[in-house]
Amino acid sequence: MSYLEHTVKYTPTGPRKVLYLNWPIALLLVSVAAIGFLMLYSVAGGSFLPWAEPQMKRFAIGFVLMLGIAMVPLYFWRNVAPLGYLCTIALLALVAVMGDTGMGAQRWLDLGFIRLQPSELMKITLVMLLAAYYDWLPLSKVSHPLWVALPVAMILLPTLMVLTQPDLGTAILLLAGGGAIMFLAGVHWTYFAAVIAAGVGVVTAVLQSRGTEWQLLNDYQFRRIDTFLDPAADPLGAGYHITQSKIALGSGGWAGRGFMQGTQSQLNFLPEKHTDFIFTTLAEEFGFVGAVSLLALYALIIFFCVVSALSNPNRFAALLTLGIATTFFLYFAVNMAMVTGLIPVVGVPLPLVSYGGSAMLVLMVGFGLVQSADVHKPR
Amino acid sequence: MIRTPLRPLARILEARAKGENPDVIERENTRLRHEEMRDQTRARSEGRLLVLGVMFLCAYAVIGVRMGVMAGSEPEEPRARAEGSHIVAQRSDIVDRRGRVLATNLETHSLYAQPPQMIDPVRVAGALAEIFPDLDEERLVRDFTGKRKFVWIKRKISPEQKQAVHDIGDPGLLFGPREMRLYPNGKLASHVLGGASFGREGVDAAELIGVAGVEKVFDDFLRDPSEESRPLQLSLDLTVQAAAEQVLWGGMKLMNAKGAASVLMDVHTGEVISVVSLPDFDPNDRPRGPTEGAPDDTPLFNRAVQGVYELGSTFKIFTVAQALELDLVEPSTMVDTSGPLRWGRHRIRDFRDYGAELTVEDVIAKSSNVGTARLAQKIGAEEQRAFLAALGLLERTPAEIVEASGSTPLLPKKWSEISAMTISYGHGLSVSPMHLAAGYAAIANGGTRIKPTLLKRDGRQDGPRVMRPQVAAAARDMLRKAVTDGTASFGDVPGYVVGGKTGTADKPTPQGGYYEDKVIASFASIFPAHDPKYVLVLTLDEPETFALDEVRRTAGWTAVPVAAEMINRLAPLLGLRPQLEPGQLAGITLTSN
Repeated sequence: MSYLEHTVKYTPTGPRKVLYLNWPIALLLVSVAAIGFLMLYSVAGGSFLPWAEPQMKRFAIGFVLMLGIAMVPLYFWRNVAPLGYLCTIALLALVAVMGDTGMGAQRWLDLGFIRLQPSELMKITLVMLLAAYYDWLPLSKVSHPLWVALPVAMILLPTLMVLTQPDLGTAILLLAGGGAIMFLAGVHWTYFAAVIAAGVGVVTAVLQSRGTEWQLLNDYQFRRIDTFLDPAADPLGAGYHITQSKIALGSGGWAGRGFMQGTQSQLNFLPEKHTDFIFTTLAEEFGFVGAVSLLALYALIIFFCVVSALSNPNRFAALLTLGIATTFFLYFAVNMAMVTGLIPVVGVPLPLVSYGGSAMLVLMVGFGLVQSADVHKPR
Repeated sequence: MIRTPLRPLARILEARAKGENPDVIERENTRLRHEEMRDQTRARSEGRLLVLGVMFLCAYAVIGVRMGVMAGSEPEEPRARAEGSHIVAQRSDIVDRRGRVLATNLETHSLYAQPPQMIDPVRVAGALAEIFPDLDEERLVRDFTGKRKFVWIKRKISPEQKQAVHDIGDPGLLFGPREMRLYPNGKLASHVLGGASFGREGVDAAELIGVAGVEKVFDDFLRDPSEESRPLQLSLDLTVQAAAEQVLWGGMKLMNAKGAASVLMDVHTGEVISVVSLPDFDPNDRPRGPTEGAPDDTPLFNRAVQGVYELGSTFKIFTVAQALELDLVEPSTMVDTSGPLRWGRHRIRDFRDYGAELTVEDVIAKSSNVGTARLAQKIGAEEQRAFLAALGLLERTPAEIVEASGSTPLLPKKWSEISAMTISYGHGLSVSPMHLAAGYAAIANGGTRIKPTLLKRDGRQDGPRVMRPQVAAAARDMLRKAVTDGTASFGDVPGYVVGGKTGTADKPTPQGGYYEDKVIASFASIFPAHDPKYVLVLTLDEPETFALDEVRRTAGWTAVPVAAEMINRLAPLLGLRPQLEPGQLAGITLTSN
């Protein structure tokens, strides 16, 4: 980083780095995770087992992991980004061949000491790779078709692999997160307009073709699309989650029913109440006030990430921070939209709150990178 | 001039020439290039970040608003129950003149299904078909497994059925409270009460709407929530009604009639104490109206109010009363009864030849068509029409039964002299038995018109006077004489001093002529004749009996004996005591001295 040396005032080194950690983000992460513990304790009927205690352990490990990653100089992470990406692709391929099946999808890899979800890991390594790519790429080439095609391929390859598991939620997150980094890196807007127009065109064509001679999908596929888009048509099947979570949110009202008082979740009406749909428990027990408070905590995390990125002259650091913030945002936005019935149900957990190891660890790794970028920022 | 891209190189060459370190220049050049590039990147990135930030904010706002809307909404399940406007199921009772219940409401349950909540639709359909044999199992399975979210199964179920359905134990089967109209007396007064059925239906209630009879006429009153505690009190007397129906039914069977009707009215108040039409029906299970055939073929048809008939000789008393009122004749005036009376191509003849002339009194007692027609000639068509109109015989009966609106009297197209002559003895003009009873009540109460009513009222009606009291008294005496020495001799009931006039009218054919062997036999009676309190009109449709080696259809042989039996039964129920006729008492005194 030869050119940096000329503007550097001071970059912390050694143990002093700890003092320069982004403590607001760390504190916010702890608060959100604490809300998660509270909810997991509540849905278990006032017990730390089976969910709250493992979650706390995982968060502790994740927190230490985050601090460790933060101490490692940022250029190391930039240099290992391509390697990390290739390794994750390899893991994804491995999952397709010999992964465990859980909940009807093949996405787990048992490495002996940890059960890993490579698709979760991919969310971070893809962001790292794209940030490193645009750091490396001269600015004049950013919008060149060839240099646009390359990151598109980098995004599409893992997306398609995840889609075949099948894991629609993660695929959407990868696609949207990668697209956001390309957008932030300054790729000309016509590419995005073209992609959006093409997407809308294809969807319209597929839907319009229904019932005509040139029908593009089979009837059963159309019926699946119907159920996907309108879960209310199948209230006991695909629409069950949504119906129940709507009841829970409605019964929570403004101030909620009180901690541990949520009937809908306590009485086991909601499946997945400890994972993807834990937000309904929060909304029922703490009402609109509680739900908006969580939303505000998430917003603050994003805010501090953006502030950190804006004050960082390093292109890789800025893109990395914003990429991870975007991924984080997509996580909870998609989850909340799904739970409130705005979009169809795709399996996306509520970050740091939902019960689940891989997602939690991966997010902490991601925030470790954000911290690293912030710590090694010249100031 | 050196071109811009080469300027850095030129600077290096220049520096080298001056002996400076070219590396410093190179580094400086790189720094400048990088800073320029960085500034460009920054500017664009910040713009892009702003766009993304706005998108984030929009997503935030949408999610926040959505959560607010959901938090502000009532929980879904309770709201679904409160949907729709409030249905008032309330309907007041109907009671008779002594407060006994004729119609009331009963709490029952309705049964409906919400197939989406159903656990095992096929099993439920099977179980339901077992409990309700009239349900089609296959159809239920179709309903329950299809797209429907709500299915009515039964509108009314009994407590036993409810328990049985409950025992199926499926959460998709639900009950709703349901008020049901109950007529505890069954067929009694069915034509008056009419019936009720469900109007707007909801899960929690259903409107009860009157479809016929007083239930329909007083629908607004009965359903008015502010009148909830006030029952509708009718003028009917349940006991009298029951006895009347019983006697009339027996009489109809005995006289081989296909239908019968009777009206018992208080002559002073116009209250209808009992009104019967046979055959009848059970308002609890009201039959459907007919789609073909004559209207009076269905039990729903109310002969006493809806049916308009040529009631025959019962009309003669009106002609005679008018002649007396106009001072054209005295009761003892002799009237030419030599027949047949020719008028144009018409001939009017009597049932039997009564000789050259009869007194006015005997014209009624013997029922002479010729004598009455000659009186009508003297009265004139216009006068006759005005008199009958004053009695209320030419307009719709005001009785508060919805079917009464259909009972408009049938009038001749042109009220000519020949019309007047035939109408004088009850042909060419069709009215209902209710009309006839109202007309006779005017004679019986001393000459004032009354309007028949089905509602209990207090005190007498004082309608417009239609004849002088002396004329009414004379007419009553003639009616009494028709019973003592005339065609209605079977109508004498010892102790109850009956007066009355028979009427036997040939039934009109649909083609316009008259049947030879089908008659409407009527008897309009008042009792007690010297101080009338009640008027009873009784008609039999196509009676036929065999007596004294002859087939008898005339009212004197058919309607009169039935009416006599009815008076015999009803008079004690009405609180009348048997008494001797004042005139007779005097006679007895004279002979014993």
